[in-house]
Amino acid sequence: MPKFQILQRMTSRDRRDDEPEKGKGKKNDRDDASVSWRKRKKHFFVLSHSGKPIYSRYGAEHKLAGFTATLQAIISYVENGGDNIRFVRAGKHQVVFLVKGPIYLVCISCTEEPDDALRGQLELLHGQMLVILTKSIDRCFEKNKKFDMTPLLGGTEAVFSSLIHSFSWNPATFLHAYTCLPLAFSTRQAAGAILQDVVESGVLFAMLMCKHKVVSLVGAQKASLHPDDMLLLSNFILSTKSFRTSESFSPICLPRYNPMAFLHAYVHYLEVDTYLVLLSINSDDFYHLKDCRIQIESVLAKSNVLGEVQKSVLDGGLHVEDVPVDSSLRSDSPSPHPGQGRAAIASRIGGPAGLLHFIYRSINLDQYVSSELSSPLNSSRLQKELYRAYQKLYVSMHDRQIGPHKTQFRRDESYVLLCWITPDFELYAAFDPLADKALAIKICNRVCQWVRDLENEIFLFGGSPFSW
Amino acid sequence: MASRRRMLLKVIILGDSGVGKTSLMNQYVNRKFSNQYKATIGADFLTKEIQFEDRLFTLQIWDTAGQERFQSLGVAFYRGADCCVLVYDVNVMKSFENLNNWREEFLIQASPSDPENFPFVVIGNKIDVDNGNSRVVSEKKARAWCASKGNIPYFETSAKEGINVEAAFQCIAKDALKNEPEDEM
Repeated sequence: MPKFQILQRMTSRDRRDDEPEKGKGKKNDRDDASVSWRKRKKHFFVLSHSGKPIYSRYGAEHKLAGFTATLQAIISYVENGGDNIRFVRAGKHQVVFLVKGPIYLVCISCTEEPDDALRGQLELLHGQMLVILTKSIDRCFEKNKKFDMTPLLGGTEAVFSSLIHSFSWNPATFLHAYTCLPLAFSTRQAAGAILQDVVESGVLFAMLMCKHKVVSLVGAQKASLHPDDMLLLSNFILSTKSFRTSESFSPICLPRYNPMAFLHAYVHYLEVDTYLVLLSINSDDFYHLKDCRIQIESVLAKSNVLGEVQKSVLDGGLHVEDVPVDSSLRSDSPSPHPGQGRAAIASRIGGPAGLLHFIYRSINLDQYVSSELSSPLNSSRLQKELYRAYQKLYVSMHDRQIGPHKTQFRRDESYVLLCWITPDFELYAAFDPLADKALAIKICNRVCQWVRDLENEIFLFGGSPFSW
Repeated sequence: MASRRRMLLKVIILGDSGVGKTSLMNQYVNRKFSNQYKATIGADFLTKEIQFEDRLFTLQIWDTAGQERFQSLGVAFYRGADCCVLVYDVNVMKSFENLNNWREEFLIQASPSDPENFPFVVIGNKIDVDNGNSRVVSEKKARAWCASKGNIPYFETSAKEGINVEAAFQCIAKDALKNEPEDEM
């Protein structure tokens, strides 16, 4: 009986009305009493086990102290009963909880994403926190339950908001795989060779990246880099502006590699969006890593890798219009290479049989390739909607209770979604809602064949640390 | 850390039911008082920003229910508190006698690292009632108890009239500043 009352009391309590709103920027003084704050579709909160706010996506943390106290009370109340709270539905809102030792993470959302997907996002949010502080932060709470973590995260606001934004556009956030920039096999090999050289001189990981895509990546023997760590690391680098202005050396933790320890990352932008990351276990390796970078830079210049990278960025990746089909499906001649021969058929919308988009994930390689988003999926709202649909599909395919499943065909008013999972790959494809089922299946087979034909250009082989 | 950063303080308010915990908080945060009694269920939360010696503080105030049936909530609620405010009604002897239980209960459940020096504040509330004629706990008696528990700061307040409420909460910030832990990893 008291349980129900407590929850009701907490959600319906009278709000104070004597605090004027001062609207300035995203982090203005809004708190949980303001209408605009309450209207946000997706909130993320991080708080300590004593209920002190650590991070909030919207509003200033200290203004939300009453709200985070409420969250802690709910979590702790259930904990007291020897149980764990995972999920609450309140009308159209879902409240998802994740307890990570002394750190509590909560998502409140009305986006209808599956709670498992939201929990996965909370896991990443926690991981991003570890990237900055390591798991040894837990010890601060052990020593002092009153510990206030907020000051340690000063200036990292953009890192978290960028990660949260990526939940709606970056498939790596739910696929747990990384993606490569398409490049000729020889170009990627040339980049891999020089990275291999520096790794042999005592570097733990060497990564050449273009935005969130991998150009090449080499790890020391027996050291493997988890795709989630790559996601969190590249998000940290891309969202921290100061990395762009100078060469940097920064302590960084890769939670899947070792959550307790800092590594030391040398980061240097070689071009606008192309950057080199060298990770070392030694904090005094700056000059060595700098030398490595100079060496890498000169080799890359000689072999024109950076030019090829720029070209690939301009050409874009795979386009559904280019899926090769035989004459019974389409009269165009197929174009087997990404980014070529599209001009001739640019007028057509979408690919064969109403194919709008696909993601192919290679299970052995921990990599995925996703087709470019183009007409009619050219608004960010539609793209977000599509990714959410994929995410839902992913969760339902990997359902631990009733799954995993091998295939799924789902038609609603927006798309036909098709998913196919084998021991080697997972394919997620979106078609026009009127697409024919048999034809769609046929096209999916074609897409898989096409991806396999192109695998040397779109995936990273050999140099991959996963082969160790 | 020599910064002037804002401090967040978790403040727990404890005391028998009906002594005026919620009224004190409402007077302090909203400058409002209501004669109607509404029992708090579980706990209620408010925040208040104050400035003390050039430092900004956010008080996260946990207004708990005084009824016995909610006391099992304690363990979780008290964790990581920066200060505990013990409230009694100067017109009700039992509520004063129970301060000892509340204090001990808090120390057991919150298990602060340094229980001897954990910052408490004691408030004798409702001094306005019947112009003080129905008062049964003398200030002297209350101060003696506070002195015996390691010199707990003592305030007499009227949540209704708003007397001394501000000063009592200022004291909380002062205490916290004194005990400010060093942040190190």
